Amino acid sequence: MTAITATSQKAPISSLATIRTKADLAGITLAIILTLAVIVPLLVVALWAFSEVWRYPHLLPQQFGLRFWNQTLSRDDVWDALGLSLRLSTVVVAVAAVICLPASYAFSRMRFFGRDTLFLSFLAAHAFPKFGLLVTIAAIFLRLDLIGTFWGVALIQLVNILMFMIWIPVAAFQAIDKRMEEAARDVGAGPLRVFWSITLPQAAPTIIAALLLSFVTTFYETDGAWLIGAPEIRTTPVLMIGFINNEMVIQYGAVLSVLLWVPSAIALIFARRFIGGDAFARGFGG
Amino acid sequence: MAQAGSIVSPDEGNEKQPLGLLLVAIPVLLIVWLVIWPIISAVIDTLWRSDGHGHVGFDASSYVFFFTDTYSLNNLALTLWTTGICAALLLICCLPIALYLRFGRGRITGYVQTLAILPLFVPSIILAYAFIRVLGPNGFYDIVLHGLGLPKLRTPYLTPWGPVIGLVWDNIPLTVLILLSGLGSVKDQAVEAARDVGANRLQVLRHIIMPTISNSILVALSFAVLGIFSAFTLPYLLGPASPEMMGPFMQRTFDDVNDPVAAVTQAVISFAFCILFGLFYVRSVARNQGRQP
Repeated sequence: MTAITATSQKAPISSLATIRTKADLAGITLAIILTLAVIVPLLVVALWAFSEVWRYPHLLPQQFGLRFWNQTLSRDDVWDALGLSLRLSTVVVAVAAVICLPASYAFSRMRFFGRDTLFLSFLAAHAFPKFGLLVTIAAIFLRLDLIGTFWGVALIQLVNILMFMIWIPVAAFQAIDKRMEEAARDVGAGPLRVFWSITLPQAAPTIIAALLLSFVTTFYETDGAWLIGAPEIRTTPVLMIGFINNEMVIQYGAVLSVLLWVPSAIALIFARRFIGGDAFARGFGG
Repeated sequence: MAQAGSIVSPDEGNEKQPLGLLLVAIPVLLIVWLVIWPIISAVIDTLWRSDGHGHVGFDASSYVFFFTDTYSLNNLALTLWTTGICAALLLICCLPIALYLRFGRGRITGYVQTLAILPLFVPSIILAYAFIRVLGPNGFYDIVLHGLGLPKLRTPYLTPWGPVIGLVWDNIPLTVLILLSGLGSVKDQAVEAARDVGANRLQVLRHIIMPTISNSILVALSFAVLGIFSAFTLPYLLGPASPEMMGPFMQRTFDDVNDPVAAVTQAVISFAFCILFGLFYVRSVARNQGRQP
């Protein structure tokens, strides 16, 4: 708004028009490049999933069909991996919610020794090259016999989402107008009642977004599952690595990709509605 | 990992100290047990080792081996090369996108923004699969080139350029978001004023925009470097088998070669190379926390 007013006051209209066309040209160029780089690969995967025959050098599959959906969905390893991933993600997010939500409430509302330092300590998990950190954790798990176990993978994935699950809810609790809580307290509501009827409902959308984001992140977590879990603990991404490395039938991987990607995309776009883009970036220190 | 705002001054009221500490205890202990302790333990375990007769003493032989072993050094060199190229490419790709999103007023801004953010919602395992289908041998772009009567692509799949392309693709959204957030503090008036006194686009970029966003550029690069240096999935699936990047190298040393001490040594060396970026990242986020209202 300020830009438009400033320009129209100081610069002749024609120069403004030039700026616009130039910007649009730049925009069209960027849009074309990004379409080729981002949309085309995803479309090609989707085409593969629905193709029965696609031989080089045909531009499009010679025969479309759902044959490979049936074949993929009748594989036991696919269902085992999906089931395991769902169980693992549910357990990890549930545990994270139980330990992190009270903690984030404490961070946003209470005063205690070392609070700011402890709050920033969650950054530590993201301040080191991630796979290096995983290897050092794996060395510790080796002594505890946690390699190749469900709980070994669950612990790794729990650490991976701790920061989401603390920082996002803290922001949610801080955004609540304290005067509402005080008003409720003034008319005689106890602290638990205030939390349950005033604080929680207002923070709920952001907290749900954090849970969703954590669930999807955990579901797709590959590095930790591969290093700590494989081959005993075969989550869906670990199975997918197998499909990429050793599977002759191209369509299995394509079907699994489409199957896995669509729901998560919906979930993540939904989550982003609650967590604004700018705020998202500022969390990284931008 | 959304921004959380600073910790505003809490109720001066009657909250008791121990309760707060108790509530945050479990997540904090988890961080201590599974982040801080493994790192300290990694340094200690690789430097104070038993000599086989029950004697524990200072022993840097695993580091000496790493820095005298050609294969290890080649892997390190490849990792540094990939990280450097990726950082440069990310800046070259993302700065124009961010500048366009900040200053462009065209109708397609929304479309460009959506596409630039979309890779954030594509797990890297699916990206790796899509990469092979599109840029692999006889992939989709080969088909298109063949249709146009042009020679085939020299596929980047299983070459050092495979991970580079994959990692850049993967890191575009966050880099754009961080740069865009930095560009938010460039004043429209400053740009207009500079243009009024005759500055061209490049001069505006160099003298007005770059100084304002230099910190954001460093943050974006630190974040990308931390992610790329020890990336695993994309280099493992798209890169060459030898030399390999530090991520797959560590995984193979740990799981297949079954040599945890060597793997942990490689991890500590990775930490050492990234420590400045890590510190810068933590400092920026911490300062940001303090600055928010």
